[in-house]
Amino acid sequence: MGGVVTRRIVGSLGAIFGATVLAFVILRALPGNPARLIVGPLATPQALASVSHQIGLDKSIFEQYWLFISHFFQGDWGYSYADGESVSALIGERLPATIELAIFSFAITMLFAVAFALLVTYRRRPIADRILRAVSYLGFGTPPFFVALLLLIVFFRSFHVLPGPEGRLGLQSTPPPTVTHMYTLDALIAGKLGTFWSAIEHLILPGVALGLSSFSFIVRLLRANLLEISREPFITVARGKGLRRWTAFRRHALPNAFLPTLTAGGLVLGEFLAGSVLIERVFNWPGIGSLVFDAIVKQDYAVVQTFILLSAVMFVLVNLIVDLLYAVIDPRVRIPSVATA
Amino acid sequence: MSEPALSVRNLSTVFEDGARTVHAVRDVSFEMRATERLGVVGESGSGKSALALSILGLIEPPGRVTGGSISLGGREISELSDRQLGAVRGKDIALVLQDPMSALDPVKTIGSQVVEAIAAHEPELRRAAARRRAAELLREVDIPQAERRLDDYPHQYSGGMRQRVAIAMAIAHNPSVLIADEPTTALDVTTQSQVLALLDRLVEQHRTAVILITHNLGVVSDFCDSIAVMYAGRFVETSGVDHIFLSPTHPYSEALLKCVPNPERLAQGPLPAISGFPPDLAELPSGCSFSPRCPVGRDVAKCHEQAPPPLRVEGAAGPATVECHFAKERVGEVKV
Repeated sequence: MGGVVTRRIVGSLGAIFGATVLAFVILRALPGNPARLIVGPLATPQALASVSHQIGLDKSIFEQYWLFISHFFQGDWGYSYADGESVSALIGERLPATIELAIFSFAITMLFAVAFALLVTYRRRPIADRILRAVSYLGFGTPPFFVALLLLIVFFRSFHVLPGPEGRLGLQSTPPPTVTHMYTLDALIAGKLGTFWSAIEHLILPGVALGLSSFSFIVRLLRANLLEISREPFITVARGKGLRRWTAFRRHALPNAFLPTLTAGGLVLGEFLAGSVLIERVFNWPGIGSLVFDAIVKQDYAVVQTFILLSAVMFVLVNLIVDLLYAVIDPRVRIPSVATA
Repeated sequence: MSEPALSVRNLSTVFEDGARTVHAVRDVSFEMRATERLGVVGESGSGKSALALSILGLIEPPGRVTGGSISLGGREISELSDRQLGAVRGKDIALVLQDPMSALDPVKTIGSQVVEAIAAHEPELRRAAARRRAAELLREVDIPQAERRLDDYPHQYSGGMRQRVAIAMAIAHNPSVLIADEPTTALDVTTQSQVLALLDRLVEQHRTAVILITHNLGVVSDFCDSIAVMYAGRFVETSGVDHIFLSPTHPYSEALLKCVPNPERLAQGPLPAISGFPPDLAELPSGCSFSPRCPVGRDVAKCHEQAPPPLRVEGAAGPATVECHFAKERVGEVKV
């Protein structure tokens, strides 16, 4: 067990190091001088030099890299060139919206994927299976922003059953007192059911639009794994012991079939947490994705580089957790085989 | 005479795959006494495993048992619901599967899987007691340091040990009938004979009737006292084990026997093979299903037109039931 944990942690650190190098190099390879951007086109060469010095552009490339990562891990992410606010404040303000959407979307993605995979494998519904396969092809192949627009046209404009692109809450609701920064949880804590419901309603369309392609991917993976595992002899053996079909399925097919899904789920959650620029734009969602979109348009380096690093770190961390979970669940990862000893 | 341990009458099973209907088991009947050991032999795809699963009621869609009756110690079980059958499986009739690598769940401990077999029919048993019982079972199948090894996972056991665990789970409730589907195929020869010796000892002790499904005639001659040769979903020859080895009457039995490697027949040149392929179980030939490959009946019109009825014949080593039009003529003359 110890060996696996160490290997995974070292691997994750390596991945984060790679991401920092990449972020650093890409930003310096981009055309345009950040100092010039800050001072504006009419500034004197002296002013330009002074700003260059201030943000460390006159130091050696290694020194710049060292400053870049040491500041990053100290939480000192610099200031937005565009509006002068500290990047950590900007991101801290936007992150909860993205996290709330990511978790919501991830939860419904996994819930529906498991439910549908069980329906077509355990319950053996051939017609549902065909529909599911068609939907998952479509869902996998359709760009999320297009799905988002389609959902808005159907559920908001035509049938008025769900709110339109107005962010996290309706106009008549006020954000609940801040505890966790998640509107749904905060509304529940404050006991405001109306606000809670509004927050949920506002999560549904962006959540579905964000999750549809991942749902398609995971449901197909899970379906294939369940079908494969339910044909394994150990399922027949379990039934031969006198276990009911569902008991044998739950105890032996599900845990085995979930292993590959766990890895896939980690990738999906990591991706969701990094925020979706397009989905957030379409729904006016005040998350990281919108922030980064604006930052890119304004060439706001400090924000963009922090975002790249932060999403890399989050992605790596989520997958590290998944790998460790995997080792806990699958003894073959944790314990070496001694069959030949 | 007492009630047979297991009686199967006219059992048929099909697999329906769209327009194709595969007839895996076709109207099979047999009876077994307590302690009897029946070897079922045949090529891959002859319906042996489908027969085993049909008896246990474990045929999964698109497969379906289409007819027949199965009675276990005088009790009819073919009409039972899946839930009622659950009370019989693992208790009165148990299963050991062919591949010890995949017969155990890789992510559950050996102990939990053995305990599961015990608890399935003794739900009131407390955990600690079930665990003690699991350790006893493992000792019974000669797993060294049984208590300690309960917490190991299947990949920490060798193939032979896993097969012992599979046997331990099957005998947990002293079933009256044990169905072993190729229990030794995946093992090396030494381990194979150890596992067979163990099975031999256990079924002797518990007076268990055993159906041993295999394609290894050597295993049958060592372990079984009767044999059924299965071809295209039917028992084409059923007899005491000596009969098959002395005077195989069905041309298919004879051909099977000639394919067994044997040092004494080295002088006769390379091993013969049975020409042709097993028939497609979805499109069976009319008449005798072996007729297209049969050295005797290949050119006989009757064999292609009429399915042979089971004929009782008396061979040198006892009676046999043979589904061949020429059984009576052949029973005296074939020598191996």
